[in-house]
Amino acid sequence: MGTVIVVTSGKGGVGKTTTTANIGTGLAILGKQVVMVDTDIGLRNLDVVLGLENRIVYDIVDAVKGNCRLRQALIKDKRFENMFLLPAAQTKDKTAVSEQEMKDLCANLKEEFEYVVIDCPAGIEHGFRNAIAGAEKAIVVTTPEVSAVRDADRIIGLLEAAELKEPKLIINRIRGKMVKSGDMMSVADILEILAVDLLGIVPDDDAIVISTNRGEPTVIDDKSRAGRAYRNISRRICGEAVPLMALEEGNGFWSRLKSLFTR
Amino acid sequence: MKERELTESGGHTMLVQRTMRSGQNVNFDGNVVVLGDVNPGAEVIASGHVLVMGALRGVVHAGAGGFDGATITALELSPTQLRIASHITRPPDGEEAGEGLLAPETARIKDGSVIIEKYQAPR
Repeated sequence: MGTVIVVTSGKGGVGKTTTTANIGTGLAILGKQVVMVDTDIGLRNLDVVLGLENRIVYDIVDAVKGNCRLRQALIKDKRFENMFLLPAAQTKDKTAVSEQEMKDLCANLKEEFEYVVIDCPAGIEHGFRNAIAGAEKAIVVTTPEVSAVRDADRIIGLLEAAELKEPKLIINRIRGKMVKSGDMMSVADILEILAVDLLGIVPDDDAIVISTNRGEPTVIDDKSRAGRAYRNISRRICGEAVPLMALEEGNGFWSRLKSLFTR
Repeated sequence: MKERELTESGGHTMLVQRTMRSGQNVNFDGNVVVLGDVNPGAEVIASGHVLVMGALRGVVHAGAGGFDGATITALELSPTQLRIASHITRPPDGEEAGEGLLAPETARIKDGSVIIEKYQAPR
């Protein structure tokens, strides 16, 4: 029996889809049976980020409505054979799936997979309620911006009201230099307001933009700092205790040597 | 609720045993005590006094029925906006919330405007 995890944020553009793709791939690298579900019906993206867009035949709406068998709608990844994607429909809208249908879908998926990672749409309406309907755990993504933190706070309240207790937080796109100079909210500032457990921090990294456009999750890239952060997060999800990575990293020999051992 | 009841017997009191997050609100005819923070975007409306045993960063309206003697007390008072009876106040523009040691503070109406002072137990 697997675990259903929803990745959500409230605000758009903070990195829900990127986070889903990287956590899902990170778990697959660790050898887990993983399926990612894109619930952003009408605005699907996860398939693009994973580079699987051209393999879609059936989608989540087909699977839920019985137009095809669930197995037929699952797309096997081109890199890892233990990783699958259930894509969103692009020509329908959020009301095409009901909360009960999502619950049934998640119950079916977790019988076969160890981790079901759900990519939630932005907002707090129908799409959000669908995405969290079948979830047992929640990951809230925020960036160090006041508006994103405000929305994360709202989302945590809604998750708690929906009996999804103790959501975990990922702070995305943080910049060590700006935090140090006092121009960006620090991890401590954000945790003071949100008061939830921190699952990880992901540094702002150009590699994310490049890999996202290429359809290759950054987590595969050994050299990328953001990739390493996502690998750490995946290990933490599996129950490993991994220390938080340092925000700033020098390029000198010693700091690189050190990072080899603290990875 | 009558003013007399609130000042002398304290009236009814509602206990909110959680941190209030953005979008959550409480509207109560009486006093409200929050055991937790009131985050930005959250709102507490009470006809009596409001006490926040945590950081008050959202909006609180005390004395909402027109009771001028209502007070708002918080362990950390850094609200978005405070309202007491028909008075509205907000922190001055461009001033960051004080860093370091924050003492409990009380907001009340004095001479027709809202003032904020260090919390002192009533004698």
